[in-house]
Amino acid sequence: MPNRLLIRGFLLIAIALCFGVPAATYHVGDFFHAGPGLFPLLVSCVVGAIGLAMVVQSRIEQSESLAIGFKNIAIVLASLIGFVVIADHLKAIPAIVYLVFVSTLAGTDYSVRRNLMICAVLVVIAFAFSSLLGLNLPLI
Amino acid sequence: MDVLHNLAFGFSHALTLHNLMYCAIGCAVGTLVGLLPGMGPLSTISLLLPLTYSIPTGGALIMLAGIYYGAQYGDSVSAITMKIPHASSIVACIDGYQMTLKGKTGLALFSAGVSSFIGGTVAIVVLSTLAPALGEVAFLFGPADYCALMLLGFFCVSFVTTGGHMLNGLAMALVGVLIGSIGTDVNSGSQRFTMDLPFLADGVGLISVALGCFGIAEIVKNLDARSVFTPFTGNIHLIPTWPEFKRIIPSALRGSVIGSVLGLLPGGGPTIAQFGAYAAEKRFSKHRDEIGSGAIEGVAGQAAADEAAARTSFIPLMSIGIPENAVMALMLAAFIVKGIQPGPNMIGQHPDLFWGLVASMWIGNCFLLMLNVPMVRYLLSVFKIPYAALFPSILFFCCVGTFTVNNNLDDIYITAVFGLLGYLFLRLDLEAAPLILGFILGPMLEENFRRALLLSRGSFSTFVTRPISATLVVLMALFALWQLTAYLRQPRVRPLPAAVAD
Repeated sequence: MPNRLLIRGFLLIAIALCFGVPAATYHVGDFFHAGPGLFPLLVSCVVGAIGLAMVVQSRIEQSESLAIGFKNIAIVLASLIGFVVIADHLKAIPAIVYLVFVSTLAGTDYSVRRNLMICAVLVVIAFAFSSLLGLNLPLI
Repeated sequence: MDVLHNLAFGFSHALTLHNLMYCAIGCAVGTLVGLLPGMGPLSTISLLLPLTYSIPTGGALIMLAGIYYGAQYGDSVSAITMKIPHASSIVACIDGYQMTLKGKTGLALFSAGVSSFIGGTVAIVVLSTLAPALGEVAFLFGPADYCALMLLGFFCVSFVTTGGHMLNGLAMALVGVLIGSIGTDVNSGSQRFTMDLPFLADGVGLISVALGCFGIAEIVKNLDARSVFTPFTGNIHLIPTWPEFKRIIPSALRGSVIGSVLGLLPGGGPTIAQFGAYAAEKRFSKHRDEIGSGAIEGVAGQAAADEAAARTSFIPLMSIGIPENAVMALMLAAFIVKGIQPGPNMIGQHPDLFWGLVASMWIGNCFLLMLNVPMVRYLLSVFKIPYAALFPSILFFCCVGTFTVNNNLDDIYITAVFGLLGYLFLRLDLEAAPLILGFILGPMLEENFRRALLLSRGSFSTFVTRPISATLVVLMALFALWQLTAYLRQPRVRPLPAAVAD
């Protein structure tokens, strides 16, 4: 089982590197005349140091193991990304239908009848938004 | 007398038909969304923030404030009736739910409603006297002082939200600062961390970050837990007897004072105020032995503190311009979207907005009391909708909310990325509330940091020679030292951390 503290430390170090390495390539300058890279570089150094401290900490003390399930987050993200792709290339209504039918896969029970009802309600809401609040989503 | 005059001026703005309507809509929608499982004030505000973009400034701020305390109130209703703990209503679950088990739901809801009203009223008096005075102090602040104040805010928020594991919160605040630095650097005009993607040139959208970290991550968390919420079906008898009513008042007043004070401090706000008021009731109440098993005092004290702190936490935002917790950071962002920079100049330049907002808070108080106490039965029917039908709708609203900010569908990709990140953080037990605070304060922190060093010709001594910043730096050092000794002294095998979020 992966150790939660260790993963936490590694994640922070990874974030620090993601921001720190590019920041070092920007103009850093000195403290008097700070360049655009100076402040992010400083902050990412601190984040990296905290991450490192957590990695060390995970070696000297017990930590609970990480329980993480990727199924539901994957389904939800797939439904969001599909929504954008369909709304971009087709229209928003098929995108709503896709969002409802895919995202409910993550729920405890699956019912086509209920999904159709949710779709109907959301389509009505979308029309109400576009006529009353001026939502610009391409519906039809 | 000045205060009364100003308040009268405020009421003349808040009592226009439009503003009354915005206030009512904000309270009603906020309560309704806040009732839903997994929707605390942070996710409610970030979901509803885009709604206010098309409304005139004064109305938008009034509506947003209404959404905020509506959501806060909705949270406590679902805590009392169904023991659904939202981050901001953990304390309400204790005695409130015990009262429901005894069949006294109506009394609990009435106590919470009346106490919130009392707490809100006390806080508004504090707000209208203290905010202008504090605004005068804020003129003494230089860039170094602002820097130190923001850092102290990070420390305090980290401490409060992570329940003592300050390092986690601090790391998240700094990650937020880094995310906030994506986009065009204001001083030099060069692009940072944009990976040459044109839609990142303006930085990452606040709504994307907030909805990803709070909306989507929370939905997936609820789905993972496979939680089923059984709707509340009991009877609600609202009108209390006179002796019961008499028990509410002293607790509510104590709670209001505690809440008003704790709401003012950096990192303070409703969560910590509730715990403070509850602890005080346990110690000082006449009926202290009943607390924990469903006592009126256990509900009234914390509800008043909650409401009072929610109002007084506006003071640092509006008089100094620095939000003290994540919810206020969202408010700051909303102010800025409307072209208003909160701070010492705000009260002078936009007195109508400031006093209108203060007055509308009291009107919102009345709305909440009128709307919710008699109508709570109907509000609770949202729980008859199964979660399986609710969460696709919330996802759809997240998409619409993200889209409306720039009328750009691509922004939803960014929301999805932050949904994934937010979920990872959640599972790793890293709180997202400090992240949002860091994200919003990041650009201000950088600007003040660079300005302070420019003024001091690159010397860090400016942070310790100026009296205000020196005091704040010493406070931070003490905080860090205290945490370090607490860490070194504790036994090596640690119990599960009890995370508390705001």
